[in-house]
Amino acid sequence: MSIAIRRRVQLAVLLGPVSLFLAVFFLGPLAIMMVTSFLAPGLYGGVEWTFYPHNFGRILGFADPMFEDFDPVYIAIFLRSVKIAALTVLAALIVCYPAAFCIARLSERWKNFCLFLITLPFFTSLIVRLFVWVLILRQTGLVNEMLLSTGMIARPLDLIYTDGAIILGMVYVFIPFMFMPVYASVEKLDWTLVRASLDLGAGPIRTFWRIILPLTAPGIVGGAIIVFIPALGNFVVPAILGGAKVMMLGNLIEQQFLAARNWPFGSALAMMVMSVMLVLLLVYVFASSRRGADAALNR
Amino acid sequence: MKIAQTLFRGGLVAYTSLFFAFIYIPLVVIAVYSFNSNPVNMMTWTGFTTEWYAQVLGFKTTVSENALYIESTGQLLQAVWNSLIIATSTTLIATVFGTAIAIGLYRFDFLGQRFYRVIMFMPMLMPDIVLGIALLIFFVNSGIHLGLTTIIIGQCTFLISYVFIVVSARLAGMDRTLENASADLGADEWTTFRRVVLPQLLPGIVGGALLAFIISMDDLVITYFIAGVDVTTLPMFIFAMLRRGIKPEINAIAVMMLTFSFVVASLGLYLRSRQK
Repeated sequence: MSIAIRRRVQLAVLLGPVSLFLAVFFLGPLAIMMVTSFLAPGLYGGVEWTFYPHNFGRILGFADPMFEDFDPVYIAIFLRSVKIAALTVLAALIVCYPAAFCIARLSERWKNFCLFLITLPFFTSLIVRLFVWVLILRQTGLVNEMLLSTGMIARPLDLIYTDGAIILGMVYVFIPFMFMPVYASVEKLDWTLVRASLDLGAGPIRTFWRIILPLTAPGIVGGAIIVFIPALGNFVVPAILGGAKVMMLGNLIEQQFLAARNWPFGSALAMMVMSVMLVLLLVYVFASSRRGADAALNR
Repeated sequence: MKIAQTLFRGGLVAYTSLFFAFIYIPLVVIAVYSFNSNPVNMMTWTGFTTEWYAQVLGFKTTVSENALYIESTGQLLQAVWNSLIIATSTTLIATVFGTAIAIGLYRFDFLGQRFYRVIMFMPMLMPDIVLGIALLIFFVNSGIHLGLTTIIIGQCTFLISYVFIVVSARLAGMDRTLENASADLGADEWTTFRRVVLPQLLPGIVGGALLAFIISMDDLVITYFIAGVDVTTLPMFIFAMLRRGIKPEINAIAVMMLTFSFVVASLGLYLRSRQK
C-alpha cells in the first residue's frame, strides 16, 4: 500500500465514525428543527407538513391566521430576555474585572490557588448552586430572616422571583465564564505602557480609558459573548429563581414543547436564539481576525 | 500620590476578598444549615441534627412524615444510578470520539480542516435549550423511544467537543521531535503511536474524560428534554423537588453532592498541576 493511501485510510478510520455520528445526531436535529420552524402546528399538537412562515411573524407580533391578532407579547419576552442577558453580562464584568487585576499581580503560588478557587464551583452541580440562592433569597430565607431579627424591616422583602434574582443567579453560575477570558487579557497587559502613560502626564482615569481598557478589550468581549449566549436562552435560572412571574425566552420555548405542544413555534423561537448566537460569534471571529491582521501589520 | 496608591491597592484587595466571599459564603451557609433541625423554617436555627442526612441515606429517623417528600430513598438512588450509567457510557464514547477527532485534525492535512475545527466548537457553544429541543424533535420524528439511549446519544453530541478541546490542547503542547526520534530509531508508525504519542497524550485524555463525566452528571437542560417519561437523572430529580417545594432533605442532598464534586475536582486539578 502506498503511503498516501495508507494515510487516507487512517484519516477515514479516525474521522469517519465521529463525522457520521455528529452529522446524524448534531447537524441532523438542527436541520429538522429548522424545517419544523417553517411548518404549521397541528390542532392537537404535532405538526402539519405545509409551509407556514407565520411562526416567525408571530414572534415579531404580526397577526397569525391561526392564533391571534397583533400581539407584541412575544417580542416583549424576547427583548426582556436580551435585557436580562445584557445586564447579566454587565454585572458579571463588574464583579470579575477588578478582581482579575488583583489576582494577576499576586505571586505565582497564590495566583494558581485563586484560579483554582474560581474554577472549582464550575465543577459542582449547577442546580445545587442555584438552590443555595433560593434558600438565601426567599421569603423565609437567610437575608429576610436576618433583616427581620435585627428589626430593620417589618415585613419580608420580595427578593426572589424578580429580574434581580435571575440576574444574581446567572452571574453566580457564570462567574468562571467571565473571569477566565478577562483574566487572560489582564495578565498579558503590558504595564510599561501604563507607566509610560502616567509618566507622560495622563491622569489615572485617562490612562484607564485610553490604555488599560482597550488593551483588555479582547478578554472583555470574549467573556461577554460566552456569558451572553447561555444567558439569553437560559431556562433553569428563571425556572428556579424567577418563579412563574418572570418569563424568559427559555421558559417560553420549554412551554411550547412541554405544555402548549406547539412545536413549530417553539422551533422558531429556538432559531431566534441560535441566530443571535451565530451573529455574535461571526462578529467575534471577524473582529479577532482583523485584530490579528492589525497586529501582523504593526510588527 | 503614594497614599492614593496604597488606598487603591487596599481597595482592590478588599474587593477581591468580597469577590471570593460572594462565591463561597452561600456554599458555606447551605452546608451549615443542612444540620439545622428546624423542619419548617430552614433558615431559623433551632438545633443541630444529622437526621436529614440519615433520612436521605435511608436510615430510620424520628422525622415526622409531613416534613418529608421522598417517599423512599429508592427514587433518589435510582436517579443517582441512572446518572452514573449515563455518565459512564457518555464518557467512554465521547472520549474515544473526541480523541480520534483531535488526533485526526492534528496529524493530517486535508481539505476543509479549518471548517471541521469550527464545527467542533459548535455543540459546546450552542445554547443547551436549542440542542435539547432539536434532539427532541429528531428523536420523536425518527420514532426512537425516549429513554437512556436517547440521553446517552444526546449528551455525546456536545461532550465530544469538550474532550476534543482538552486533547487538542495537549497535542498542541507535545514535543514532535520525540516521534521523529522514534521513527528514526526504527519503530513503525503503530509502535511510535503506542509507545511515544499515547503516553504523552494520556493526561489530556484523562482530563477530557473527567470533564466529560462531570458535565454529564450535571447536565439538566438537554437531558430534561430527551429523557422521556421513564428515566430521571439526579439533576432532574432535584429540579423536580425544587419545583414542588423546598424541604430540608434537599439541603442534605445538595451538600453531599457539593462535597463529592469538590473532592473529585480538587483531585483532578491537583493531579494536573503536578504534571506541569
